[in-house]
Amino acid sequence: MLQDVIGSKTALFSDGVQTVLRGHENRNRRVVLLKGDVVQNSRSDARGTSARVNMNGTFGFASIAEYSPEAAERVIKAATENAVFLAKHSGRNIALPKAPGSGVIPLNREIEDTEQKEIIELCQMVDRYVAEHCPELTSRVIVYTEDSQDRIVYSSDACSGHLVTPRCYIYVNMTAESKAGVPVEMFKAFGGFGSFRDNFSKPEEMFPEIDRLYQKVMDKREGVYAEAGYKTVVLGGMMGGMLAHEAVGHTVEADLVAGGSVAGPNLNKRVASDLVTMVDFAHTYEGKQAPLPVYLDDEGIKAEDAELIRNGILTGYMNDRESAEKYGMIPKGNARAWTFSDEPIIRMRNTCILPGKNTVEELIASVDDGYYLIDSGNGQADLTGEFMFGVTCGYEIKNGKLGKALLDTTVTGVAFEMLKTVDMVSDTVEWSSSGFCGKKQPMAVGMGGPHMRCKIMIGGR
Amino acid sequence: MTEFRKMADRFEQMLAAEKIGKYTFCLTESEKQELNVENGSFKLMRTVFNNNGSLTVFADNRKGSAGGNDITEEGLKKLIGDARAAAESSPADPCHDIAPDQGKHVFRQGVQEADLDGFVSRIREFLDTVAKDYPKVRVMMAIGSFDTWHWLSRNTNGTEFEGFGGQYGFSIEICATDREKTTGLNYTGVSMKSLDRPLIEIGEIRNKLEDIQNSIYPDTLEGKFEGTVILTPDCAQEFLFMLMQNYISSSVIMDGTSLWLDKVGEQVASEKLTVALKPFDDRIINGERGTGDGFLAEDVTLIEKGVLKTHWLNLYAANKTGRPVVKNTGSDLVVEPGDTALADIIASVDKGLILGGFSGGQPGTNGEFSGVAKNSFLIENGKIKNAVTETMVNGNLGEIVRNIRAVSKELCVDGGMVMPYIAVDGVVVSGK
Repeated sequence: MLQDVIGSKTALFSDGVQTVLRGHENRNRRVVLLKGDVVQNSRSDARGTSARVNMNGTFGFASIAEYSPEAAERVIKAATENAVFLAKHSGRNIALPKAPGSGVIPLNREIEDTEQKEIIELCQMVDRYVAEHCPELTSRVIVYTEDSQDRIVYSSDACSGHLVTPRCYIYVNMTAESKAGVPVEMFKAFGGFGSFRDNFSKPEEMFPEIDRLYQKVMDKREGVYAEAGYKTVVLGGMMGGMLAHEAVGHTVEADLVAGGSVAGPNLNKRVASDLVTMVDFAHTYEGKQAPLPVYLDDEGIKAEDAELIRNGILTGYMNDRESAEKYGMIPKGNARAWTFSDEPIIRMRNTCILPGKNTVEELIASVDDGYYLIDSGNGQADLTGEFMFGVTCGYEIKNGKLGKALLDTTVTGVAFEMLKTVDMVSDTVEWSSSGFCGKKQPMAVGMGGPHMRCKIMIGGR
Repeated sequence: MTEFRKMADRFEQMLAAEKIGKYTFCLTESEKQELNVENGSFKLMRTVFNNNGSLTVFADNRKGSAGGNDITEEGLKKLIGDARAAAESSPADPCHDIAPDQGKHVFRQGVQEADLDGFVSRIREFLDTVAKDYPKVRVMMAIGSFDTWHWLSRNTNGTEFEGFGGQYGFSIEICATDREKTTGLNYTGVSMKSLDRPLIEIGEIRNKLEDIQNSIYPDTLEGKFEGTVILTPDCAQEFLFMLMQNYISSSVIMDGTSLWLDKVGEQVASEKLTVALKPFDDRIINGERGTGDGFLAEDVTLIEKGVLKTHWLNLYAANKTGRPVVKNTGSDLVVEPGDTALADIIASVDKGLILGGFSGGQPGTNGEFSGVAKNSFLIENGKIKNAVTETMVNGNLGEIVRNIRAVSKELCVDGGMVMPYIAVDGVVVSGK
């Protein structure tokens, strides 16, 4: 873990500019077993120091692959020089955002390391279980991946602190062959925030879920193509989370609002049915730790929840300090950087559509002819709110009952139109935290959602 | 430079002292100067000084790798400990190996000295040209990056590669607006050895600006049809990489799930298609020189006139499957042009789409793809009609390369690829 060796260099912060100094370490551990063979087995660590200087709206940023007091001196100097150089060309003259209040955010936890041997043994145990209990598979891949961030942040006029975000996962990927000889695939991620020991001290607890995954793959072997068109669907909780992140979340990031996103003209207007409320949680959800807690961002802003939609009305954006000033909002700690060499940009944290009152069973029973879409492989969204999710697991719904499994497909829609069709919301939320969001830099994000009944475009043959 | 070589020498001494008999390592130092434009004006300048060290250790056929950006003596010592521990934890597998001795080679590519003031001027010129020629386009983000790197790799078979590389990169993220109406995003990027041409004239940049300005008032398609889709060069590159990943890459050949497992030497695609990885092509900037396995990189033709020439196997996969290794682990994609002008291809299409972008789920090894057509235009009776929205395209990667209607004469050269437009039949296009 990082020890604080840069704090004394805050004395070099200049007057009349806003400066953030950051020490930052990322660690990665990765093991991949393909049909029992170890095909990847690696560990890596990267640490460094960065500084960002805001000079009347022109920013200089510098970073170096060294974590030391000398490195801190060099990056503060270089970031200042970069701001001066660019100011000659930028023409920007924006008043510095007002100081949001200062303080020190304490270290939230320790990072624990795990020997590669333990990781490989765990992967082998899971692989053996899959090999023995899933006889119809044509291929299996077990992936262990661990990444962690360790950051020490000093701000010239906001908060400082020391934060760590460790997370680790095991992905179980299964491939089987349909009767026609065509491969069908599915995967499930296990794990979450915390260390290897936090997540995998009882690996046998994964086995029932692995059995269920296998059953879904067997169902998918008999799967059918969805019928392309505009359909009534029940989105599962994981899909609800993807919707929160991709379809709405990105459009309400203030840098994209400034670029012309659909959220700009829709602030304080209805964008969803009144069953939809959505929040980007900082660190706590319903009194418990959120999937990937963020207590302080990389501009030194103490993290708080950012409400985005309340009862269908768009109520706010996610901001950094500059955009908050521009839109007359309060920054809530959304400016985040992934590695030491990244500048902070506006990112989501734990974005979630809140639960409603129906049960999942009620939602499914209410659909005469449609689809139950459970898991998504990936998703993307656009400024217009047009979104796409890949669907890796789904079933037909016929007369309120689940029918045949679906082969892989894709759903799309325009967020603020599609959300107005939400007419039933389940009383439970499912979270995921294993993914990366891509936006110049990768970022670990959590996303959650309830089951929702709605209308959506589905692709198919 | 001398210090860097001394560091590599010292690393070898440390590995010898630890009695590690088989290994490969690579040390890299790099520098980035990045100019960031947000919503039309320069906002941030970013400098990154970075290092990287990677070490792979083979201990009794057990393989382990470690990496990190601390290449001081202390950092290198940690790399040795981590890689050795990883190797010793791994089961033995005789298929792990490194390439035989390739000799000692020095590679000098690209450009080493930046003209930052000149780069600022070129970016300013680009912004001014966009404002004048495409007044409804917003440059949400433009990134001009000048990158240099120096790397040195050695292995215990005697190979030593040393490389010096550098390039200018320019990427944009754009949309177009008219009052409260906004298009979706479009983006592209190019790499350059010099600043001798206006940025707007390189790669697909001008085409992207043109397309986004014409996309402000798109139509929604009704119903669905099976038709012709013309893949624009960026889109064709994306589809070809998906095809390579799912049909000929190491993982799908090793696990036996590839639908082209036994198709080498057979016709798998239209004879109009020739696909190669060509790091030595003059149009590719900073092409691969040494592969991840330690081979000297070679130009490799994967598909020639529709015939599959080879799978795309690394050394481990080759050893595992008894098939030939491919001495190319890069991404320098070069597709041969056809003999039809793009305008004539468009004129030949009864009903279809020009696909400017694809936003879809990752296809599996069955090759089925399904996604949203982004920045795309309807073609009817040989004419380009309006931009479309909420339109999906569905098909199969293996099928569309068999159903190639035409490959364009025109090529997009962006420093990282050489790519024509590729028109494919049999894609299902569906609207609301």
